Amino acid sequence: MLEQSGFIDVRIGPPVDTFGGAGGESKARLFEVFGYAFLAHKAK
Amino acid sequence: MSEALTVDALALREEVKTKYRAVAVEPYSGYHFHTGRPLAQQLGYDEAVVAILPDSAVEAFAGVGNPFSLGRLKPGERVVDLGSGGGLDCFIAAGQVGSEGHVVGVDMTEEMLGRSRAAAAAMGLRNVEFRQGVIEDLPVEDGSVDVVISNGVINLCADKRQVFAEAMRVLKPGGRLQFAGIANGREIPAGALRNIDLWTD
Repeated sequence: MLEQSGFIDVRIGPPVDTFGGAGGESKARLFEVFGYAFLAHKAK
Repeated sequence: MSEALTVDALALREEVKTKYRAVAVEPYSGYHFHTGRPLAQQLGYDEAVVAILPDSAVEAFAGVGNPFSLGRLKPGERVVDLGSGGGLDCFIAAGQVGSEGHVVGVDMTEEMLGRSRAAAAAMGLRNVEFRQGVIEDLPVEDGSVDVVISNGVINLCADKRQVFAEAMRVLKPGGRLQFAGIANGREIPAGALRNIDLWTD
């Protein structure tokens, strides 16, 4: 979707266990939900 | 090409407001996500940077990743934080861009804005301001910022294309969007996607 929105040079960081140990952990595990960092650029 | 949204965008926004008003007022109440310093540590934030911030600047933090992990901001850069919440990422950004830079946090809840503005004032920060607004319609000038950051907020918006269009609008040519969001490795049933409660719980 980022590229469809016009962004270029998109990078995605490694997964982070955002919900580990939290109340939402079981639901997160069920759907393999993790946090990610994203980096995208607007063309010059 | 437009696509049908899976949920009513305005109804979802109201649900998100309710949830994060509660976080602003009672950050230690216990939610389905972590908050505050333990969360910042879990997400890999620089512990030395977070340690020197007052509790008021950190305790309502509710991000899902670390938007600074793919690159530090540069001195003098102008930054906008989409859904700035308690302000932690704005305060970290303010430290990275320095006195020649400027950070604008945008949030839709009075409770979070009150909290972040009070924390900024307590720290004497002059290069941070907070504006009320929604991230699908940013109160920011066209082509005026070097970096758009966000953490755990875009994933709570039904119309992500509009959010990215707004980020594109406010960025200068060559500017960048660095944000944290969540993604699922297994497909979520269509019925669950239409359930607003499951977006915020």
